[in-house]
Amino acid sequence: MYTGTRKIYTLWKRASRMKKTSTKKKNQLFHWLFLLPTLLFFGVFLVLPFALLIKLSFQDVDAMLITLNTYSLSQYIEVFSSPVYLGTIWSTIWVAALTTVFCLLLAYPAAYLLVRAPSRKMRALFYILLVSPLLTSVVIRTFAWIVLLAQNGLINDSLLKLNVIQEPLSMLWNMKAVIIAYVQVMLPFAVLPIATSLSETHVNLRNASMILGANRIQTFLKVTLPLTIPGAITGAIIVFSLAAGSYITPLLVGGRMQPLLPLSIYQQVMQVFNLPLAAAMSISLLVLVFIIVGLLGYILKRWEAKMNG
Amino acid sequence: MGKKRFSLLDFIVWTSGILVYLFMILPVFVIAISAFSPSEYPEFPPKAVSLKWFTAIFTNPQWMDSLWISILLLFIVTPITVVMGTMASYALARLEFKGKGLIQAFVLSPLMIPQIVLGIALLYLFTTMGIIGTITGLVIGHMLISFPYVVRTVSVSVSNLDPRLELASMNLGATPMQTFFKVTLPLIKPGIIAGAVFAAVTSFGEISISLFVSSPSTITVPVRTFGYIEQTFDPSINAISVIFIVFSVVALLIIEKTVGLSKVM
Repeated sequence: MYTGTRKIYTLWKRASRMKKTSTKKKNQLFHWLFLLPTLLFFGVFLVLPFALLIKLSFQDVDAMLITLNTYSLSQYIEVFSSPVYLGTIWSTIWVAALTTVFCLLLAYPAAYLLVRAPSRKMRALFYILLVSPLLTSVVIRTFAWIVLLAQNGLINDSLLKLNVIQEPLSMLWNMKAVIIAYVQVMLPFAVLPIATSLSETHVNLRNASMILGANRIQTFLKVTLPLTIPGAITGAIIVFSLAAGSYITPLLVGGRMQPLLPLSIYQQVMQVFNLPLAAAMSISLLVLVFIIVGLLGYILKRWEAKMNG
Repeated sequence: MGKKRFSLLDFIVWTSGILVYLFMILPVFVIAISAFSPSEYPEFPPKAVSLKWFTAIFTNPQWMDSLWISILLLFIVTPITVVMGTMASYALARLEFKGKGLIQAFVLSPLMIPQIVLGIALLYLFTTMGIIGTITGLVIGHMLISFPYVVRTVSVSVSNLDPRLELASMNLGATPMQTFFKVTLPLIKPGIIAGAVFAAVTSFGEISISLFVSSPSTITVPVRTFGYIEQTFDPSINAISVIFIVFSVVALLIIEKTVGLSKVM
């Protein structure tokens, strides 16, 4: 009797295990089917174009800039041996880094207000002020800076009327204008992750620090700031990669001749028609951004490991 | 803690914070206001109010063509991206396999890849495939750019969903398909709506890829705007800006009403 029950029990257990694994398999198949369209789409329209671009970057061109079917490193040699392009690469990194630093500096007070605003309505207002520019096309936001900074623009107009200046200042078509516009366009990307990590820092931690005798500035520097570093690095990753790879804003407020890699690429494609050289520059830019983003990601991981003991 | 009293530190933090918000919003605010000014040159505050530049846009067949193309794209791109993105986010939340993190990073990557590089890669691919300058090419480009936003918002909703609800449904005999449509989908609807709004707004404002893959017969509003800004100083761009701003505010209100802004950003 007893052995019989046990037998039935083991049989039942085995059967139920089999059923469980088969439902699990069925579910897995179902989930893979859900993922399939995305994998195909990204395979054809993201992996394939980049594979083609890499191939193109190794192709030679003839004197008429017609792409040939011979392969060499000549495009990369041209990019990395020309002082002009090397200078362009440096100033691309420099401008993106400056934009990132300014964004982070301005993001802290903005994030603080967003998180610590006394009422819900006020927080909602700050959110709308922050996100509505993000949802407005970058062309429009850049255009706004042209209206403000141009020779006959609003800033010059107001300063002339107030007799602060006698001659209109030329504020457009330089790197300063590019950085100002970049900072304004990308600031929300820095504020949002910092606000998230700020809202996660527990009020008890700050109170404990104050009770132990630290003043508010010390508390910020020793407690709050380290806890928001992950948010700041996340913001920096987004801002840096956007600033290093955009061409619309610098083209419109800086002009075509600014030494920025995206603008050189744009010129090679749209005016010079040297596609392999543009491809080599594009791949170089991509690798450059990946290296810096990877580095920041590594710092982020180390920091989080340190924070969690 | 104690009674609220005036603190210099609070004052400095709040003033600088408010200045940052002004810096962010003022430029767009200024052009939106000057769109209602009849003057040829931007002036602030405007001396009179007129809808002249709006009339100029809506009676110009070129702008109307572009508006039509942008709206058409939005209505093709949004549903496809939302369906594909929802399926992918759900699958990625439920599947466990080696390299999952890589795939997740991969579907979010269009946000991080330098836009000029993505634009040129697609330009070259579409030229090879013979779909350069077509609506199809633009749809594909916009889908790539909108996809990460959909995945992000839907993933948040899926991760807040209790998997036991799905297990209960399947223990009661529902198939995975039935469970997905009857249990999962209704519960993650807010995330999907927010994703749809982001996809629509992203498609409507996209320029970096569109500039490379559009042709004279498929010029979207942002691409035409870019062309105008580059060539002339035309105040009707101010009126176009207002259209974009209204669109983004409407989008924000929808997100705030469905999921709450602070949840998805």
